[in-house]
Amino acid sequence: MNFLLNTGRTIRQGSYVERKNSDAYKGEATSLYMHPVDMMILEIEEGSHVRVESNQGDVVMKVHPALWISQREVFVCLGPYANYLVAPETHCSGMPDFKSTMVTITPTTDLLVTVAELMERCGGVRYED
Amino acid sequence: MKIEDVVCTFCGCLCDDLVVEVDGRRVVSVENGCTLANEKFMGDHRLQSPIRRNGKGWEHISYDDAIRETAEILCDADRPILYGWSGTHGEAQSIGIHLAELLGALVDNTSTVCHGPSILAIQEVGHPGCTLGQVKNRADVVVYWGTNPIDAHPRHMSRYTTFADGFFLKEAFRDRRLIVVDVRKTESANIADEFITIEPGGDYAVLSALRAIVRGKREIIPPSVSGVSREQLFRVADLLLSAKFGAIFFGLGLTMSPGKYKNVRNAIELTEELSRHTKYTISPMRGHWNVYGSNEVFTWITGYPYAVDFARGIAFYNPGETTSVDVLRRKECDACLVVGSDPGAHFPKACAEHLARIPTIQIDPHTNATTHLSRIQIPVAVTGIDAEGTAYRMDGVPIRTRMLFKGEYPSDTEILERLYTLVKEAKGP
Amino acid sequence: MSELLVRNAYVIDPLSGIKGDVMDIAIRDGKIVEEVGRNAEVIDADHCLTLPGGVDSHSHVCGTKVNFGRYMSPEDMRAGRTARKGVMHVTSGYSVPTTFGNSYRYSIMGYTTILEGAMAPLEARHTHEEFTATPHQDMLANTLFDGNWSIMEAVREKDVKRAAAVVAWTLSAVKGFAIKLTNPGGTEAWGWGEDVHSILDQVPHFGVTPAEIIETMIRANELLNLPHSVHIHCNALGVPGNYRTTLDTLDLVPDLNDKRQTLYLTHLQFHSYGGSTWKDISSKSEDIARAVNNKPQVAIDMGQIMFGRTTTMTADGPMEFKLYMLHHNKWSNHDVELETGSGIIPVYYSRKSLVNCVMWAIGLELALLTKDPWQCMLSTDNPNGAPFVKYPEIIALLMSRRFRENELALLDPRTAHYVPLPAIDRELDWYDIAVMTRAGQAKALGITGVGKGHLAPGAEADIAIYPLKPDSLDPSTEYQQVMAGFGKTRYTIKRGRVVARDGEVVVEGANSTIWTKAITPPEFDLSVDPEFVKKFEQYYTVRMSNYPVQDVYLPRGVCIATEASL
Repeated sequence: MNFLLNTGRTIRQGSYVERKNSDAYKGEATSLYMHPVDMMILEIEEGSHVRVESNQGDVVMKVHPALWISQREVFVCLGPYANYLVAPETHCSGMPDFKSTMVTITPTTDLLVTVAELMERCGGVRYED
Repeated sequence: MKIEDVVCTFCGCLCDDLVVEVDGRRVVSVENGCTLANEKFMGDHRLQSPIRRNGKGWEHISYDDAIRETAEILCDADRPILYGWSGTHGEAQSIGIHLAELLGALVDNTSTVCHGPSILAIQEVGHPGCTLGQVKNRADVVVYWGTNPIDAHPRHMSRYTTFADGFFLKEAFRDRRLIVVDVRKTESANIADEFITIEPGGDYAVLSALRAIVRGKREIIPPSVSGVSREQLFRVADLLLSAKFGAIFFGLGLTMSPGKYKNVRNAIELTEELSRHTKYTISPMRGHWNVYGSNEVFTWITGYPYAVDFARGIAFYNPGETTSVDVLRRKECDACLVVGSDPGAHFPKACAEHLARIPTIQIDPHTNATTHLSRIQIPVAVTGIDAEGTAYRMDGVPIRTRMLFKGEYPSDTEILERLYTLVKEAKGP
Repeated sequence: MSELLVRNAYVIDPLSGIKGDVMDIAIRDGKIVEEVGRNAEVIDADHCLTLPGGVDSHSHVCGTKVNFGRYMSPEDMRAGRTARKGVMHVTSGYSVPTTFGNSYRYSIMGYTTILEGAMAPLEARHTHEEFTATPHQDMLANTLFDGNWSIMEAVREKDVKRAAAVVAWTLSAVKGFAIKLTNPGGTEAWGWGEDVHSILDQVPHFGVTPAEIIETMIRANELLNLPHSVHIHCNALGVPGNYRTTLDTLDLVPDLNDKRQTLYLTHLQFHSYGGSTWKDISSKSEDIARAVNNKPQVAIDMGQIMFGRTTTMTADGPMEFKLYMLHHNKWSNHDVELETGSGIIPVYYSRKSLVNCVMWAIGLELALLTKDPWQCMLSTDNPNGAPFVKYPEIIALLMSRRFRENELALLDPRTAHYVPLPAIDRELDWYDIAVMTRAGQAKALGITGVGKGHLAPGAEADIAIYPLKPDSLDPSTEYQQVMAGFGKTRYTIKRGRVVARDGEVVVEGANSTIWTKAITPPEFDLSVDPEFVKKFEQYYTVRMSNYPVQDVYLPRGVCIATEASL
């Protein structure tokens, strides 16, 4: 099912921003907010994992119902998970389309990845304290 | 020891009324701060010492080695980029820009993925703004457009707008009207007198409709504009025009949505249109505590607020070409120094992949997403806790942040000065 | 100990009464001395014109609005770019250069001291940061009090001493130099989108008039014994017919100080307009100059405009909005809580615009009709009338009637009908120029005592040696050489060190910031005054303890301390 992905700040994202390798940050940055009607159509429950895919790649997130968002739109706080889906095209403005990425969402049983794992997928080497 | 009037180095509000209790090198308590401030001051998750990637693992190295190796990487690079800057104080930013000048590097700050489009709009049509105290003391109509202060700038409403009593508004919450415009019903929207839900990508059209109404052209407005009814548009325009002092604040809902800088331009032109009838100001809600400072320092040294390329010897500025995301997307740069930012988390994946490909060095107190992409990370003191320096609030008011205790980490300034000296020696006179 | 000897200099040093003698100048450790030893380094001036370092008593080069002028104008940044070279950093900008651009270009023209014309106290830290990055000139900051709530309350209470106490606290807190009033009362009115239109208009809510603010501040300034007088940008700038407001303002000025003027009126060209609309605007320079000639207690600067592109920037927010309504280019505005405002718009002064031609003539007329050069400083209100790099051309215009005639021939032919300039024969001489570009400015600012604007033993060794030989050069006909010569010194010496040579800056600079501190009796200490403290508790958005500019921002601060007569 196709959705428009919007991103933005949340208070929890801000709170954990200096602990990006913590479970708390991972929990917030992988939280995907979706209208309950869309959840019904997808036959998923609160806390279900979904695979979110754009033309850039795909990443697993966890669904939360939200009445403050329209149907066919989803919201994820800004961060490496959402940005894994965002294209680097800026249309000569310097600014990518952080608030208007088309994504396809399907239910999955795959696990969430850590920020370190996600960065490894980008070619990095994980650092652990 | 309790320290008063502490400056919070989290968001662009730069609140300077915190009371922080310190015990040795530890923050014990924070008063007056928001959730974000509490996390910032109470948090203790520092990287202990410089680290270097060693094949498939990491090793701890000395500051001397880390700085020397960083200088070598930067000197070896043909097209280095020095990115970040909004999470450090102005004195460090200044050295960073001079380092870029010396290297013939590209230097860019986090505005590039934040209010860069606002800067482009301002460069087209200007910026009628004011300091936040003008709003607090005078504004009877406040608009938040594409911004959610309750989450992103938690004390903005209580210090400067909705809940802040001012000289001409003794009971602010009763006397001020609040308009919130967004594509989703945010926490901030819940307390608005008027909430306008716009279809995604519809900001430009709604701004144009309001401009037309303010110009007296109600008859041309269709029944609905980007999901907003004509009746609501009329009501909102009347509310805007009823102000003695109106203040518009806008966020990334304008800069990141389709239209980008054209959205902001339209919002500024609405402000200008309203200024012909009554007093109006408009202000971007700047994110990082010192992102505006990075724009200021960049500007007085290079002439441009961000995206400056020294490769030609002169300062060259062409956003869309010299902006970080574009340079990384084109796989153009061959080394990157990151200071006070986390592009691994906040740039699109393709950019993160290029950062992993090239030698990336990060100067930052904490491990973050960029850490895993880097070759070297050098931990530094946190400005506002164990380092001090100048910061510029979102409205341009400069405030000196405080050092609450002398810690064990060097400041960004100290590291960058050493780096500058090494590069200067290597480059010769 | 470092010693330098400048030999065979053709010196004009008005404050020392030297009007063109060939002599040697001895320098030791940054100061002028009677003589130096045999091992002193020697510069042969070869009979070239040698003057004290230039002093600009009104220029906008550093701070919030200047930087915003850069920020919003990439087109201006592109119009003046130089690469890093030797000790010189990259520079950008034509009308609003980067700080290093300003500093190098001023230095190359022989200027060693600059007063920033308008600093909002709340944003003073920014000005000081940019001062530090303007390394080749000693800097001073006019501090804005035009819309200051505490001042207006004191004016309303007719309490001059309290006004003085507010000034004393503020100047000391923000490391400012002098009192600046920009459109007094008008910047507060602009907080509601309004303005004041004469010196007798009421400021909304505060119940005071510009005239009362001006009179109170003049007296407060003298109570504090500050080196400079009140420095005013009159009400009604740029409005046809505004010369009446200017004359009314001049009428307010008592003669309270025997060392200098009692009021400094800046960029008077913008305040000398007759007519009632843009269609019949005319020059009233004769009326204004007559008033100035009759009032030795005032000093003015020209505010000359020059044709071409520039950027206007002032604390006078309402004026900039009016200007925007004429130009429709782009407009920035920045009001500062409890204090002042500001606005910026780019402009193009055209020879094809009759209004601009009249403005151009008025500035020159003011300089030529003011009899005493000590009363009229050369300025463009940089960059409002023109960027300061136009000063050499203005000097040449003032020194050559022929040059003026040649220029007039290029203007809108109707110009002569609206201005007296074609009938003015006067040609200024080298001495007049030396007064108007350094000695008079230093005297007006009250900084001769800290060694500025003259070359007597004990003075700071700030010296400009121009490739001009007054003995053999006729400025009346050879004005092109005059222009070229004032554009590029052979040597600029700052505090005894050669800083620029033949158009290039040769060392890293290390400037000072000069500020004033009036020492007041304890009962006038506002830091413990409940009403004053309340302003910070309730209305400012910055805590009182975070407001003062810390010493770290003035690495080489020079404090002029005075005893207030309170």
